[in-house]
Amino acid sequence: MNYVPGTASLIDDIDKKHLVLLRDGRTLIGYLRSIDQFANLVFHQTVERIHVGKKFGDIPRGIFIVRGENVVLLGEIDVDKPSDTVLQQVPIEEILEEQRLQQQAKHETEKVKMQVLKDRGLSIPKADNLDEY
Amino acid sequence: MFRFQSLDDDCTLEEEDDGLIEEEEEIDQFNDDTFGAGAIEDDDWQEEHKRLAELDERDGLGGVVPGSGPGLGALGGAGDAPLLGPPASALPSLNFTSSSGFPRPDAEERGGGGDLAESLARFILDADPAIAGVGAAERPNPALSGLQGLDRSRVLPQSSPIPNQLHPQMPPAPPRPAFLLVLPSMLSFQQQQQQHLLRRTSPMGQMNSHNIWENSMGFGPVSLTPGLSTHMEDSPLMSIIKEERREQRPVERVPPPRSSSPVIGSPPVRAVPIGTPPKQPMSHSLNHQIHHPTAVHVRAPMPHRYPPPPFPERLSPNTLLNIANSPLCRGPFPPGVLSQIQRAQMLNSQVAGFPRGGPPPMMPGGGFRPFFGGPPPPHGHRMGPPHGPPNHAPPIRHNTTHLHPQHRRMLTQRMQSRGGLRPGLDRRSRDPYSNLMTQKEKEWVTKIQMMQLQSTDPYLDDYYYQNYYEKMEKRQRRSETAAAAVKRNTPQNSSLLKWQKWSTPTGQFAGSLGKLTVSSVNNPRKMIDAVVTTRSDDEEKREKQVWNKRRQILYTVEKMYSLLLEVQDFEKRFVLTPEEEREALLEQHKTNTVQLCNSLREKEWDDKKGKRLISRLLPLLPAAQAPAVLMAIARNLPALAKKDKQDQVLCWLVEPVSSVVQSMSSSALTDLLQELQSNEGQLASVLHNKFGVTLLYLILSEGERMQSSDPNCQLMDDNRWTELVFSVTRELLSVPSASLSPPLFTPPNLLSLFSRYVDRQRLELLQDKLQITALSR
Repeated sequence: MNYVPGTASLIDDIDKKHLVLLRDGRTLIGYLRSIDQFANLVFHQTVERIHVGKKFGDIPRGIFIVRGENVVLLGEIDVDKPSDTVLQQVPIEEILEEQRLQQQAKHETEKVKMQVLKDRGLSIPKADNLDEY
Repeated sequence: MFRFQSLDDDCTLEEEDDGLIEEEEEIDQFNDDTFGAGAIEDDDWQEEHKRLAELDERDGLGGVVPGSGPGLGALGGAGDAPLLGPPASALPSLNFTSSSGFPRPDAEERGGGGDLAESLARFILDADPAIAGVGAAERPNPALSGLQGLDRSRVLPQSSPIPNQLHPQMPPAPPRPAFLLVLPSMLSFQQQQQQHLLRRTSPMGQMNSHNIWENSMGFGPVSLTPGLSTHMEDSPLMSIIKEERREQRPVERVPPPRSSSPVIGSPPVRAVPIGTPPKQPMSHSLNHQIHHPTAVHVRAPMPHRYPPPPFPERLSPNTLLNIANSPLCRGPFPPGVLSQIQRAQMLNSQVAGFPRGGPPPMMPGGGFRPFFGGPPPPHGHRMGPPHGPPNHAPPIRHNTTHLHPQHRRMLTQRMQSRGGLRPGLDRRSRDPYSNLMTQKEKEWVTKIQMMQLQSTDPYLDDYYYQNYYEKMEKRQRRSETAAAAVKRNTPQNSSLLKWQKWSTPTGQFAGSLGKLTVSSVNNPRKMIDAVVTTRSDDEEKREKQVWNKRRQILYTVEKMYSLLLEVQDFEKRFVLTPEEEREALLEQHKTNTVQLCNSLREKEWDDKKGKRLISRLLPLLPAAQAPAVLMAIARNLPALAKKDKQDQVLCWLVEPVSSVVQSMSSSALTDLLQELQSNEGQLASVLHNKFGVTLLYLILSEGERMQSSDPNCQLMDDNRWTELVFSVTRELLSVPSASLSPPLFTPPNLLSLFSRYVDRQRLELLQDKLQITALSR
């Protein structure tokens, strides 16, 4: 129920299950309990979901307060809709291991790439993901 | 941020449950919308069917219950035996789970479950093309996906299936009103169970894999571990109720062990068959509940409250239960009907974010719902399949687009156990943590957002929205009748009207984090909170002057202090330096003291520091200067006394002053006394002040001493002294005792002084007043 049509507000999303993607790449799923004018979010029964390939793992986190500026996107999850995904849930340790491997692999490729570029005399500075300025 | 509901609410829920008879009513349709109430008893079942048949005839329904999609799917799924190991095995389990009066399922029904399902499916689908379309599209239906979920759950570590401990005393279900599916005869009781079972399997897998919120609020259909141990103890309703109760448990608890046996019979369904339009006029209170959301749109400036007024902001699950029960206690049929439909409507309106059509009168001008293109036909969603689906697609609930609206509604209702309340709010109210953000807080945030929308030139700021709104209005104007002319508001204004009645915030809101952001592209937020305070010029000047003066005085005092220190150190230095330089030093000393004296002429000694300075200075001054200083003090005593109220620093002066007084000549003394009385009423104020009194006494005693010691002293030469003393005594007598402040000390010879000048009577009075005792003589 929006108080003014033509506007967007998070009021209607309160007490619903949401998925939020943060700027640092984390995916959180939880019930949105409270908001404020900066779109700071309070999540309840939050689960951090780590995706690696076709697998995912959930880490229960409890209550999260997310500063509004760190939100990339936020979407409601329909609890009624059947979740017919191809993703396979695995236990936490496994997914963390997978994630570590993934990070490692990425790091390796990155290193190789840098080496190759260096050999050719090019150097591309590594972009720091966290700071845009 | 906001407050938290205690978890105790949850705990009490269990207790509450026992007391309530009508539990099964809320427990609601775990089993689909489908085939019927799953009456516990055959008789009820048949009666319900009869009643429904009548109802349907009246409506002209084809006796179709379209909202059986999932059920169908489940059935279809049931038919796919290979897909389901456990459910299939559950099938035989169903056979002997019946108890408490269920008819033993016929063998053919059991065996022919698949066939029956197909025939049923065909029947329904034929009757309702919309459903057919839906059903076809919806092959990945909840049940199926449930099945898939089930498969998945096989992969995951599963908690061992534990028999469902059914509650021993479950009251039998009362006859379900309204929504008994029209085809109870089509389905056996087991199939209902089966569907129920199947439908429940999907979340179970997740639950088993410790997905804490998959089922936390009980929103998902409560699942049974499929294909597990089969015995069910009591009436099937018990299991339903038990499931229900589990749903209500807070998240933190581990989901209780569930029996393998599925629920026998669908829970009693109270809703009207899907296709039934509401015939009864809506009850007024329930009307409110529906139609309040319609106030959302711009046109209807109904005071909009979210949630609607009858619904308190935060209910414990207990109170919810009570609320839910009370309406249900009434007659079975009509409230059930209404609540179901209304619930559905509420749900849809909540979810899709637009107000569902109430009867048109509620929405002036046909209701402008700007959220979606084109206003939907008023009763479109309710008419549903039996009347032939309208041309438009069923109004959109965004994520269940493929479902028929009735089906969708049923789906969601199935999730909820609470009857009698609107579904959207249902779910949120059953959630023990719901409404942590109170209505006030929501309004507050919205108010901030709305204020940021205010603009002086809407056409400049939001051109496209304005055009869009105008087009809407035009369209409405065309369609509305002349009688329904409505006052037009600009989109912003109408919705802002009620926001504007809130006072413009003076600065900030209490409890807000950060400043109110009223920034835009053109005036981005300020980095510094510089607040401009305006003062008039005069004020400023005056203030400046005062400050300047004070600064000056302080400065002077500081300088004098340094001089004073030098002078005081003179002695030491004098001793140290050799003979020749003593001259020079002495000279320096002289100049210093002269300087001091000169600056002492300054009138403004308001400062504490100044007074202290004088106290230190006086002993150092040459004899000639000191009385001058004293004079000055005496002259200014009233002013000094007034300012001294806070500081009480004048008392510091007593000692040096007394020494000076004692060294003064008689004429000087007289002069001093005169000074004290020079101004009108000065003596009175002198007497008010402690120091003044002390000074006075000092003078008097000195005079007395002079007189007594030296009979030839010049004090009596002129009459001044006498006169002055007389006036002093007069004043002393006339001044009320209360305002006479006690001196720091009373010189002993005052009495003798007074006795010299005043007569006996007055003397005694003076004595009393000044508490001069004869002993002090």
